[in-house]
Amino acid sequence: MAKEKKQKAPVDYGKLWAERLVFSVVCAILAAIANTIYGWRTKAAVMVWPWECWAALLYMLVIIFVSYALHDLLAKVLPFDVPGVLYLAVLGAVLSFPAIDVPLGGIFGLEGGLMATTFAKFYGLLPLCTPVLAFAGIASGKELKNFKQQGFAIVCIALLTFIGTYIGSAVIAQIVLNAQGVI
Amino acid sequence: MFGKELKKLLSKKYWALYLMVFVILVVAEAIGTVKFDIVQNGKSLFNFSLFPMLFAILIGLILCGSKKVSTEKMDMASPAIAIGVAPLIIYLAKSVGPAWPAIKAAGWPLILQEFGNLGTIVLSLPLAVLVFRMGRAAIGACFSISREPSIAIIADKYGLDSAEGTGVLGAYITGTVLGTLFYGILASIFAGANIFHPYALAMAAGMGSGSMLAASTAPLVEAFPEMATEIQAFAATSNTLTNADGLFMSLIIAIPVCEWGYKLMARGRFANQKGLEKKEEQ
Repeated sequence: MAKEKKQKAPVDYGKLWAERLVFSVVCAILAAIANTIYGWRTKAAVMVWPWECWAALLYMLVIIFVSYALHDLLAKVLPFDVPGVLYLAVLGAVLSFPAIDVPLGGIFGLEGGLMATTFAKFYGLLPLCTPVLAFAGIASGKELKNFKQQGFAIVCIALLTFIGTYIGSAVIAQIVLNAQGVI
Repeated sequence: MFGKELKKLLSKKYWALYLMVFVILVVAEAIGTVKFDIVQNGKSLFNFSLFPMLFAILIGLILCGSKKVSTEKMDMASPAIAIGVAPLIIYLAKSVGPAWPAIKAAGWPLILQEFGNLGTIVLSLPLAVLVFRMGRAAIGACFSISREPSIAIIADKYGLDSAEGTGVLGAYITGTVLGTLFYGILASIFAGANIFHPYALAMAAGMGSGSMLAASTAPLVEAFPEMATEIQAFAATSNTLTNADGLFMSLIIAIPVCEWGYKLMARGRFANQKGLEKKEEQ
């Protein structure tokens, strides 16, 4: 999404929405398949077949397309750039509150809430990651040279981010706990 | 326009791509999670797990490296990354609602402490840009500790087949393999150093990754067994908070700060060279 914006070229909405539709559905179906293999491999107590995820996938697709529509509409009005993923995250977060989720589930006769019940068909985050990363592996072929060149630097930098977050969090925690008189 | 593009996306060429992705996915998932436990003198030194998602990207890269995939296919797969990441984002965001009571109960000390996670940038970005001259891969590697949510964010914003994507994926692999070892050592050093209170270190241990949480809490509990309950509570709460807010912190603060810092430093450094920055942005 950000790529089109960077170049400030007029957005080809026909192409964009066709890609969104096809790739979203393809990735959703692949995620359901990955989910089943995950369950089979980890010998999960309850076996979830790909088609049993249909409600979760449908709900996800609805949230996704509402976010896209919001993004495209608001992009024309707002003076600053809001990443598409933020609409998704906010919408997903808002819908996850039991105060909203439970009544929504009630409409479909689901007692535990719409998101809580339907998403429970997924064993976890990991199977959802696999389809994206499979596409990414193919697409990143162009970056292979970059990987080789920068490998060592990236390892060093990653370890530095680990030190950074650890010390940063500890410093703030120390100050706040001191101010509170806990320690 | 829409219809024509739709037909193209459902053409034989694209079906070949979907089939290829399907096969990669099945193979990666069938390999499953591979656990490594490095043992020395009967004591576990450090351990790490490689997940199917990692195999998925590796298989793709190997296929590309051995010229089994055409450049055309690589370009066809590219837009799928930013789009396919959406379910992941929703799945991550769904933890916010259920975590809300914990967030409210934790109060402002723990919430304030969340900003410490921005410490990732302070050390790493200057070094990445000024010393390693990494280019825009620095942004992907520096804005967070590069766990799954970070991959999703970069995939959406820049695409994983970009310099930023190289950064976040490289850092992800580093964290996967070396994360627990590194945090085990770091936490032992700080537990013995007597600079920070154990509670502060416990909060620092909650950074949004389960394995890293465990690795950095264990040495702390071992050093201060009488505080074990409090240490674990602080660490777990901080971890829950980071899981809930990490996505938003990254998007609203960390990435813009990295972009700004990168531009500032890259400009100062490369002003007289033939626009390194421009070259990478193409």
